[in-house]
Amino acid sequence: MTSFLQATLYGLLQGGLLGLIAVGFSLVWGVMNIVNLAHGAFVVLGAYVGWQVNDWIGLDPFLGMFVAAAVLFGLGYGLQRWLINLVVNGPVFITLLLTFGLDLMIVQAMNIAFSADYRSIPTSYAGNSLHLGGVRVPVGRLLAFGVSVAVTLALVALINRTRTGLSIMATGMDRGAARLMGIRARHVYALTFGIAAGLAGMAGTMVGTVGTFNPAAAGGYTLLSFVIAVLGGLGNMYGALIGGLVIGLVEAWAGQYLSGTWINALAFLVLVVVLIVRPSGLVGRAYYAARLEV
Amino acid sequence: MRSRSAVLASAVACSLVLAACGSKGEAPSGGSGGGDTLAIGASLSLTGSLAREGKLTQEGYQLCQDKVNAQGGVPVGGKKLKLAIQFQDDTSKPDTAAQLVDQFNDKGVKLILASYGSANTEAQAAVIERNGQVMADSAGADNKIFSKGYKRTFAVLSPATEYASSIVKSIAELAQPKPKTVVFLSADDGFSKTVTEGGMKTAKEQGFTVLSPQYFPNGTSDVSSSLIKVKGQRPDVIIGSVHLVEGIAIVKQAKELGVAPAGGFGETVAPPTPDFAKTLGGQAENVLGSSQWTPSTKGQDKYFGNAQQYTADIKAKYGHDAEYHDAEASAACLALVLAAEAAGDTSPDKVRDALAALDTTSFFGQIKFDATGQNVYKPMSVIQIQKGKAVTVWPKDAAEAGFVWPGTAP
Repeated sequence: MTSFLQATLYGLLQGGLLGLIAVGFSLVWGVMNIVNLAHGAFVVLGAYVGWQVNDWIGLDPFLGMFVAAAVLFGLGYGLQRWLINLVVNGPVFITLLLTFGLDLMIVQAMNIAFSADYRSIPTSYAGNSLHLGGVRVPVGRLLAFGVSVAVTLALVALINRTRTGLSIMATGMDRGAARLMGIRARHVYALTFGIAAGLAGMAGTMVGTVGTFNPAAAGGYTLLSFVIAVLGGLGNMYGALIGGLVIGLVEAWAGQYLSGTWINALAFLVLVVVLIVRPSGLVGRAYYAARLEV
Repeated sequence: MRSRSAVLASAVACSLVLAACGSKGEAPSGGSGGGDTLAIGASLSLTGSLAREGKLTQEGYQLCQDKVNAQGGVPVGGKKLKLAIQFQDDTSKPDTAAQLVDQFNDKGVKLILASYGSANTEAQAAVIERNGQVMADSAGADNKIFSKGYKRTFAVLSPATEYASSIVKSIAELAQPKPKTVVFLSADDGFSKTVTEGGMKTAKEQGFTVLSPQYFPNGTSDVSSSLIKVKGQRPDVIIGSVHLVEGIAIVKQAKELGVAPAGGFGETVAPPTPDFAKTLGGQAENVLGSSQWTPSTKGQDKYFGNAQQYTADIKAKYGHDAEYHDAEASAACLALVLAAEAAGDTSPDKVRDALAALDTTSFFGQIKFDATGQNVYKPMSVIQIQKGKAVTVWPKDAAEAGFVWPGTAP
């Protein structure tokens, strides 16, 4: 029983972190119909920013993540505003190719700048754990989970309650109509991509605090984000968090009751089953996929 | 719109074709035995998931070339041939590594230095055999590579079965109090599984109670489910058959989950890598690991001197301490060079026969191959992280420090 509770708790915490990794990917896909293959590279780059400010001035990663978010927001905004916007009206294949190229370039740049060595952002507390009966609650993962939930709630509030958020939503639903209403689509797209990159940066710093990273990890995070975004569903800001939690739990339980090598296979099996039953994901809204492109 | 994407697609296709032609069309910089150079082909994982190890392997090969050429080259049949290693990036993919071996063959390069890791080397070995080339294997330790009857691949390093076995042997010999139960946590790739099988066999022979092993996906940074499973069984020793990422994850997550074996942790190849102690800080303390080579390895040769000199050379050229990845690469290159020298010829068949007959001491320890091409004559070293540094603790005659046991704080 203890090991079931422990696995469940650990899976939930891990799932929250996965949700944070994927939320930006889901946002960009939902609003702009761009499958951003450079998302994983943004996550790892965020980890390096968090690591670098920790190395320079000893900044705690839970503050450093805001630096990472700011840097990545700037990068994301610029990339979308002056590069991806040039082809955003093209077929999805073109943006796929472009972001794939960006991914290669960012990963190789990180290889050159930081080398391929494995790193981790050191803290005195992240590896400690609280005792809850027989169950251990790792402090770093608990904090990261808290960040993930807080970020998701903030994103929901931003999208639903602010003018900026509503214009993001409107552009996502119908770009032509939004422009007719005076929304500057180019700016909104850049803002959306910037926010997504910033969130990826925060997630990266969290990953670097509880685990390890190096440039080669980027591809894995992109794939993971893809699975979680599809599972949770696009067009709902809670989608990534829910998708992440499901994957986290499935992996934890699979590891506990089947062989540990089945983890990935089972996570994809769940994805397939969900897509059969609910093609637009667990909480996704179909109209995002059905909108008209002008 | 359609026409624009069609143009783009054809542009991409053209450039791909051109790139392929370009690499084929390169003039060979001296085939084997031609001119005054000895061309050797090396496919390396310079990008992709093995970029880190690939880079170290390249350093090892490069240092070998520098050292040999500093003495005028390889004396072959009265002439001194300058070593000219051609490096190509295989992006850490076995298919590409194998294709590169074919490309070298097309260019007339018959002597090959292997890529990093068992998967790449296994893919290359099959092509080597078909093309009649010869390969010195620096980092492919999986016994499976040598169970297929190949005659042209020679590994300077100890086979995979020794990785965990050596740790088990060191514990059996030196640990006081002697632990009773051992559990293996293993990545699920072929190499790690072979390591686990070898380690479990030795552990049973040494009288340990061996719990059923736990497997997790290769390259994962989350091994929590395996740790939760073994927590209730209270093993005295946890041995990970792992690479660096999983090795770090075991130590980190064991702390998070309160898994504290009474004896300690052993983690094959993870602890000898400097990143291990750097990333884990104090948590790395006293973790055992196994290494193909350490700076206290006994033996010397005419190109590199002994292990201490080798360490100094790597430090001078690359600014970091020598790792076993550097050393095994240099040793593979050394084996090819010594074989060409002994054969007095650079044709692949002659070099192959000379490799099979090679029996020499070197900075890397003894280099001698059994009938399958494995170097079973060289023992592995066991290291322990002490005060943030990896020091050799076993075998006893090469030990730099005492064996700290139990390795975990009570």
